[in-house]
Amino acid sequence: MNHQIPVFEIGPQGEVMAMAIDSCVHCGFCLPACPTYVLLRDEMDSPRGRIVLMKQVLEGELELEDAAPHLDRCLGCQACVTACPSGVPYGELISSFRGWSEPKRKRSVSDKARRAALLKVLSKPKILRASAQVGRLAKPLAPLLPRVLRAPLSVLPNKLGKASKKQLSNPLSPIKGKVALLTGCAQQAFSPQIHQATRRVLEKNGFELVIPEGQQCCGAAALHTGAREEALQLVKANLEAFKPSEYAAILSNAAGCGAGLKEYPVIVHGQEEEEKAKAMAAKVQDISEFLVSLLQKGELAPFPAAQRPLKIAYQDACHLAHAQKVKAQPRQLLSAIPNVELVDIAEADLCCGSAGTYNIEQPILADLLGQRKVSHLLENAPDLIVSGNIGCSLQLQNHLAKQKNRTPLLHTIEVLDLAYQGKLGEGKP
Amino acid sequence: MNLLEQQLIGALGKQKVLLSAAERQTYAFDAISFGVAPLAVVLPKTTEDVRLAVKIARVSKVPIVGRGAASGLSGGVTPSEPSLVISFTRMNGLEILADQREANTQPGVITARISDEARPHGLFYPPDPASLKTSTIGGNLGENAGGPMCLKYGVTGDYVRSLQFVDHDGEIHDLQRDAYDLAGLLIGSEGTLGLITRASLGLIPVPQHTRTLMAHFEEVGQAAEAVSAAIVSGAVPSKLEFMDRACTNAVEDYLGLGLPRAAEAVLLIDTDGHNLDLVEAELELVAQACLAAGGQIKRATTPAESAALWQARRSVSPSLGRIKPQRMNEDIVVPRSQLATVVRKIRELGEQSGLPLVQFGHIGDGNLHPNILYNPREDSAEKVHELAHQIALVALEHGGVLSGEHGIGSMKRDFMTDAVDPTTLEALWDVKKALDPRLCLNPNKVLPELCEVEDDF
Repeated sequence: MNHQIPVFEIGPQGEVMAMAIDSCVHCGFCLPACPTYVLLRDEMDSPRGRIVLMKQVLEGELELEDAAPHLDRCLGCQACVTACPSGVPYGELISSFRGWSEPKRKRSVSDKARRAALLKVLSKPKILRASAQVGRLAKPLAPLLPRVLRAPLSVLPNKLGKASKKQLSNPLSPIKGKVALLTGCAQQAFSPQIHQATRRVLEKNGFELVIPEGQQCCGAAALHTGAREEALQLVKANLEAFKPSEYAAILSNAAGCGAGLKEYPVIVHGQEEEEKAKAMAAKVQDISEFLVSLLQKGELAPFPAAQRPLKIAYQDACHLAHAQKVKAQPRQLLSAIPNVELVDIAEADLCCGSAGTYNIEQPILADLLGQRKVSHLLENAPDLIVSGNIGCSLQLQNHLAKQKNRTPLLHTIEVLDLAYQGKLGEGKP
Repeated sequence: MNLLEQQLIGALGKQKVLLSAAERQTYAFDAISFGVAPLAVVLPKTTEDVRLAVKIARVSKVPIVGRGAASGLSGGVTPSEPSLVISFTRMNGLEILADQREANTQPGVITARISDEARPHGLFYPPDPASLKTSTIGGNLGENAGGPMCLKYGVTGDYVRSLQFVDHDGEIHDLQRDAYDLAGLLIGSEGTLGLITRASLGLIPVPQHTRTLMAHFEEVGQAAEAVSAAIVSGAVPSKLEFMDRACTNAVEDYLGLGLPRAAEAVLLIDTDGHNLDLVEAELELVAQACLAAGGQIKRATTPAESAALWQARRSVSPSLGRIKPQRMNEDIVVPRSQLATVVRKIRELGEQSGLPLVQFGHIGDGNLHPNILYNPREDSAEKVHELAHQIALVALEHGGVLSGEHGIGSMKRDFMTDAVDPTTLEALWDVKKALDPRLCLNPNKVLPELCEVEDDF
């Protein structure tokens, strides 16, 4: 797309945005992939429309506030990136644009305070867990509360996972090497048992799991809501905490966090940390990528069969499937368990509506997408629903509850862990 | 708020009318070019909404541009002047009448959805433009769109059993395919004669067997020779597609399928039918023709492999953005016997001009898409236009036409005077003026400028 963006005035992030806009040929192949276009069927709520809007705002042709409602509706799911034949890095574009435009936004004092508080809570697992405990108790009151308070409550799980007292890093027999884990925020707060499962599966395969000290929230939530300065601080802290040369891989078991880590070189583009970020990003893998690399080398410990035939509906998290192109790996791992059958899902590439803080900021659209996803997941009456991202899991749990459906939902790594323990399909998984 | 805005909101309600600058800006373009931002955009749900919008535009003397998904490649839906855009994307009702082998569709239905919903009944809708997952059936009707399958199965218009349209005056008409075939006139008229609001489309049984073959060649002309020979030998492939080396490489950069990057030309061929022996015999005829022309062949062994090859073909056009950001896209059709000569001549023209020029297309029915790739910051627009004009002339000199399926739109309008003689052009203008006397429907498209018009605008 031809543009007149004053790249030099904007700086390194201007380069990132201009390059993305340059590469768009406005063919429209992204339209049917975009959840908001699918729901709203208008051009300004499609990736192509948003690229034109961002271009015109950057050129000074269009008021930011005029374009903002449509840009705010973008989930950042990056399904458009998968659909794009021209290779437009839309994810980088929207993140950079949000970072660039947030300080220029006209927001009310209360809106600003709400957003800041949300980010603060989200990036601190302990506070998040404590808030969730309180919020969970407040859930029955939700219908009485104003929408602005209702949305965050609806996101909370009805049940919080148990935090085990056991130390995370407790190697059994480190033979093959060490891997580092980013513990993340929401997952640690809501479902700490996922980390325990991760540890057990890695140790079963001879890897020591290290939780580097000083690590922070990956910064993705801040970045994707435009809080660039906050994001930068977190990124820099993590670049200090994780020493790529010490580990076989730097692992994430939450799609959003993994995608965030892989985005570091773009976030610090043009800054002194860029090389360091590249070195780190090169080592970052989703847990399923890492385990599949073992599987392909014939080094993954084989799974005992599930106790009974299990139909699994695997839900693609956008930040795995689209942002990280990790679609096949979780399926390969689940299929490697004897007695497990994966069922196909309609509109598998469509976001479930969770998308970070989206279900708080855009509750109506998020609800529509959540209902749609859960309906598709349940079409083949699976025994188990599996997802690789905490945000999706919370959203799915909520919508399963709304449909009064009791199909259990687990993280991929929890399924693998249960399989290793010979407990998969035991009674109710 | 001006009168137009007031009346639109009053008649249709806020949900169906877009007025903000941001909203309007996103309705200025299609998949190849930018026009001017419309004055307002209407997103109708029903034919009645369309009727009201047209009446209101008429009062304010505002031109009307109909628009589907804007995946078109000829500047057909880019407003040439401040207009009312009627975007049909929310008119997406679809009904499959399996016993009648028919789909009843509103114009905003996405093309691919028709076959998706017909397939459980063992039926499908063959016309398959590369953009079928994005494009709307209304847009396909407006352009009389084709695609790879049209070699064997025919184009959009061949499937239309009846049409409903709203005319320039806001009147609704229901048409069958009998004399006078006004529906036939509407199909491919690019929104310049009326706004199609409903269509009944024929569906056919899904062939039980399909086989896919890829052939590649060291020289572009060899591929064209193979195509002519294959069809002369009696094969009727369901698809017969061509892409040159630059296309293959652009799409390989996107999908990484292991396509032969070094080949100067690649052909993709499907044969299909209900009798497997015949399907394989036909494929064999094509394979022999390719080998005889000096090509190498490879058969797809699984449906997944075949699907991947066809995804590659559909991705060619938009993948070209990886080479240069802008392109001038042609859509010529030439007689099959002239293919080898035309493909070679166009290639030479590209080399002489120094601009990157790539070729691909539905070579089975002589429909080629030479694309000139350029960067508006580096390459002169005149040079691009001149090369495009020369390519058009090559097609016309060899008994061809300018547009096979993309339409004329605004981008090839200038070349129409080369393609159509003045008397015929006058007749076309008479048709236009009969159906759109105020020239308010998609103005400045298809037909080149005509001087005197009774303008009671």
